[in-house]
Amino acid sequence: MKTTAMILILTAFALLVGAASSIAQEKMGRDEWQSEMRNASNRITSLHKEGRDLDSQKIVLQSQLTKLDADVKTCEDALYAMLGVTRADVQAFDKDLNDMEKRVGELQRMTDAELVGYKDEINRMNERLKEMAASKIALIPRYGDRVHSLQDKVAALMKSLSKEKTYTVGTWSRDRDCLWNIARKKDIYDNAWMWPKIWQGNRDLIKDPDIIKPHWVLKIPEGKELSRDEKSAANRYYRKKATGPASQ
Amino acid sequence: MVKLLKPLLAAALLCGGMMLSSCSSGPSEEELSKLAELKKQADQLQSEVENKKADIGALTKQIAERNSKLQQCQSDQEAVKKALGGK
Repeated sequence: MKTTAMILILTAFALLVGAASSIAQEKMGRDEWQSEMRNASNRITSLHKEGRDLDSQKIVLQSQLTKLDADVKTCEDALYAMLGVTRADVQAFDKDLNDMEKRVGELQRMTDAELVGYKDEINRMNERLKEMAASKIALIPRYGDRVHSLQDKVAALMKSLSKEKTYTVGTWSRDRDCLWNIARKKDIYDNAWMWPKIWQGNRDLIKDPDIIKPHWVLKIPEGKELSRDEKSAANRYYRKKATGPASQ
Repeated sequence: MVKLLKPLLAAALLCGGMMLSSCSSGPSEEELSKLAELKKQADQLQSEVENKKADIGALTKQIAERNSKLQQCQSDQEAVKKALGGK
C-alpha cells in the first residue's frame, strides 16, 4: 500500500516538474537575456559611431556645396561682366524666353485657320525675337540656342499664316458679291452656307454681314465646316432677321 | 522494492529542484524592460542614421548639379570670349 502511494506521489511530482519546465522554456532565460542585452548595446554603439561618421560626411559635403555655390556665382558674375549685363537682365531674358516658348507651343497646336486671329501676336513675337537675338545675352550659347530655336518655330508659324487665302470684294452691279455668293464660289468654299465663316474670319471689317464694301480684302479661313462659334453667329443673325426690321 | 524507492525519491527531488531553480533564474521584469528600452533606443538611432544617409544623398545630388552648372558656366565663358573676340 505504502509502495503504491509512493509511486503515485512520484508520478505526480514528475508531472509537476514536467509542467514547470515547459513553462520555463516559453520564458526568456537569463543567458538569452544577457545575449540580447549585449547585442542591443553593441548595435547602439555601432549606430552611434555610424551616426558620427555620417555627421562628419555631411559637414564635408555641405562645405563642398557652399564652395561650389560661391564658384558658380563668381563664374556667372564674371560672365555677365564680360557681356556688360546684370543678373537681373539675364533673369528677365530667361523669363521672356520661357513665356515665349510656352506661347509658341500653344500656337503650334492651332490650325492655320485659328492662327489667322493671332497674326499680330506672331508678328510681335518675331520682332521681339529679333531684338533678343541681337542682345548680348544671346551670346551665351544656352540662351542663343533657345532664341534661334524659337525663331525657327515662329518662322514656321508665319509661313502657315502666309498661306492664308484672301478675296477682294468686287461691286454688286458687276460681281454680285455678297458673303453668300462669295462662299458659293468654286475657288472659295463651293458652299453658300459657309458664308458665316467669312463673316467671323473678318469681324474687324464686317460689322453687319449684309454689308460688305468693294475693294475690301477678306480673309478666307480654312475649313470645310462651320465651327460652333460660327454656327451660333449665323443662328443669331437668322433670328434677328426673322424678328424683322422693327426689332433691329 | 522499498529499498529502490528511497534512491528513486531522492533522484526525483533533486531533478525537480534543479528544474525549479532553472525556472526561477530568468530575467526579472525590470531587466526585461531595460532590454526593451535598449532595443527602442537602437531603433531610434537606426532611423536617425537612415535620415542622415538620405541627407547625404540629397547633398551629393546637389553637388553634382552645381558641378554641372559650374562646367556649363565655364564653357559659356569660353564661348562668349570667343564671340566677343571675333567681333
